[in-house]
Amino acid sequence: MSKKHKKEPEYLENWKRERASFLNYKKEEAERVGEFVKFANQELILKILPILDNIYIAEKKLPGELKENLWVQGFLKIKTQILDFLENQEVKEMKCLGEKFDPNFQEALEKVEAEGKEEGIIIEEIKKGYLLHGKVIRPAKVKIAN
Amino acid sequence: MSKILGIDLGTTFSATAIMENGEPKIIENKEGGRTTPSVVALTKNGERLVGVTARRQQITNPKNTIFSIKRLVGRRFSDPEVQKDKKFLPYEIRESNDGGVEVKMGDKWHKTAEISAMILQKLKQDAEEKIGEKITDAVITCPAYFDDSQRKATKIAGEIAGLNVKLVINEPTAAALSYGLTKIKGQQILVYDFGGGTFDVSILDICKDPDTVEVIGVGGDTHLGGDDFDQKVMNWIIDEFKKDQGIDLSKDQLALQRIKEAAEKAKIELSTTLETEINLPFVTSDSSGPKHLYLKFTRAQLENLVKDYVEKSIDLVKETLKGAKLEPKDIEEIVLVGGQTRMPAIQEAVKNLFGKEPNKSINPDEVVAAGAAIEGAIIGGETKEVLLLDATPLSLGIETMGAVSTILIPKNTIYPTAKTQIFSTAADSQTSVEVHVLQGERPIAQDNKTLGRFMLDGIPPSPRGVPQIEVSFDVDSNGILNVSAKDKATGKEQSIRIEGSIGMSKEEIEKMKKEAELHTEEDKKKKGFIEARNVADNLIYTWEKMVRDTGDKIDEGLKKEIEEKAEALKKVKDSDNIEEIKNKTTELSQIIQKAGAEVYKAAQEAQKKEKPKEKDKGKDAEEGEFKEKS
Repeated sequence: MSKKHKKEPEYLENWKRERASFLNYKKEEAERVGEFVKFANQELILKILPILDNIYIAEKKLPGELKENLWVQGFLKIKTQILDFLENQEVKEMKCLGEKFDPNFQEALEKVEAEGKEEGIIIEEIKKGYLLHGKVIRPAKVKIAN
Repeated sequence: MSKILGIDLGTTFSATAIMENGEPKIIENKEGGRTTPSVVALTKNGERLVGVTARRQQITNPKNTIFSIKRLVGRRFSDPEVQKDKKFLPYEIRESNDGGVEVKMGDKWHKTAEISAMILQKLKQDAEEKIGEKITDAVITCPAYFDDSQRKATKIAGEIAGLNVKLVINEPTAAALSYGLTKIKGQQILVYDFGGGTFDVSILDICKDPDTVEVIGVGGDTHLGGDDFDQKVMNWIIDEFKKDQGIDLSKDQLALQRIKEAAEKAKIELSTTLETEINLPFVTSDSSGPKHLYLKFTRAQLENLVKDYVEKSIDLVKETLKGAKLEPKDIEEIVLVGGQTRMPAIQEAVKNLFGKEPNKSINPDEVVAAGAAIEGAIIGGETKEVLLLDATPLSLGIETMGAVSTILIPKNTIYPTAKTQIFSTAADSQTSVEVHVLQGERPIAQDNKTLGRFMLDGIPPSPRGVPQIEVSFDVDSNGILNVSAKDKATGKEQSIRIEGSIGMSKEEIEKMKKEAELHTEEDKKKKGFIEARNVADNLIYTWEKMVRDTGDKIDEGLKKEIEEKAEALKKVKDSDNIEEIKNKTTELSQIIQKAGAEVYKAAQEAQKKEKPKEKDKGKDAEEGEFKEKS
């Protein structure tokens, strides 16, 4: 067997070793990045948004006579607090109502007859949509005019 | 050479992957998603949408939004499947001149392959944007049951999209390739693919004849998928609320939307937890005021709701096996594909049928695309054979002071790999050490599997902690473990070679992992005890050594005080009162520091007297010797 051929298994083994240590490095790196992503703002914000959704629903369903109630007003200040927090995180609420439907920003849930409204205009916002640093992180869910 | 794109062209979702540094990597689409809805639409303005944007406008534009095109592609219009699907499809289809299917989008009729091409084009463009280079070649996957005409249509779709389709590969083969299972010849593999809308079973025979994977059985249900599970959960929520409040939420668009999201979230959560809450405040209201929906939902309840579906899937697996004249025992490997296979009840049902653990470690939504990319790399000559390096299934380590298992190579480390660590003796004048090689995750040595033991003797007698024993673990590419221990002072070395230990059976590995999980709390407590005792033991030893070496430099009063504290610690050291051990250790440690400071001061003064002129040099030496430990 030539000297060159004799060396082949050794070279192969060394090469495999390199591959393995590189893959191990990558794995560790992926774990680090994974950890980062896990705690990155976007994930957290997406989990906070449903809480805010529920506050909006509660506010919408508030009986008229309670609107001036100081307790209720106090509770609604909590909503303002969450909105401030989101604003500080560069989260922006999309303005949809009355706009033309755009699937890049909204998801249509229903098309309904709406008098005096042009077709494709958003007439109701069922769930608010949000942008983070200008990128859609949650599309708005809307009803549009037929 | 440009990269070959691996494409999983799915019924509801598609995914792409490329090989990067010898590993498949999923490519995110422009919107940031790892999968792209297989939906195409034409808006009123004549704009073509593909993917998530097409899906978002589906309700408003049902006639011009084409989804599930895979159900029609390459089929004849007269095909009973087409006739069955026709009833459910909101868009128009008709028979084409050649007897195939045509789909209407806008004013135009399109061949089904053209629609698939639109999806492929978007996937291609997004991938090019992401990797920053032009893509010309691709490997596209299709179900194992696709006939020639369906495969041909898939290939044509790729070509229309501007791709040179190197191969149309079976989805189950791609999945098996991702797990490296096609390397072992002569075995039968069953792929259980439970996606969002379809359920497929395929049996593969890895022929001894090189490079052939034969499909020897296919089965499934083209209309059974994870979406059915979500619907069941939704119905349950609606029923529960109706029972409780007498209000039917199924007609309320807003409530339905919220329930749909909550149902999906709960289903996903129950794959990892045993109980979850469905909490929808102000879900509706009536004359008496607002109504809130609050339900506790357990994994057992979910499993009960979808029991029929899981059982049906298992029956279909049995049927497919029967069709291939095989028994569950004939199947060597099982691969799980599709998001729904994350459900523990499904994994359990499959495991029970075959009596072995299925392969499930790769993301089931991405495993097919990854396999397509691997196939692409093989065809592209990037690699003749994909180098599949295995990872250690369990941690490898040795027993150290206090019968603790000290891990050198953690589980999931890809091998070949090596690790070296320096250890020392636990007692004064210890002349030999026993290297007890362990495998497992439990912190206490005896709870793990013993792989081997050997002695290293001839260590020159010295105080404990002084000898340096270099222990090396080396797992070569065949999974053979070599453990060696070398006394750095004498160069004396001993080693052991352990074969076949890494490749334990999946059942054994799972069992050991489960045991470790089960005993986590108890083990943590035990380890805490041992560690506390080791710290106490070390501290007492340090004190005794200090008295021997520098006792004359410590004030007698202080010495007596420390002596008492050391005695008190000795008394509690072996008790079961961990708090007491820790408290007494802290007390002793604090007071020893005082003695340390005295010794240090004395040494400094002595040095000053001896070498008053070499002040600066002396300072350096002091720092080196007495590094303060915080």
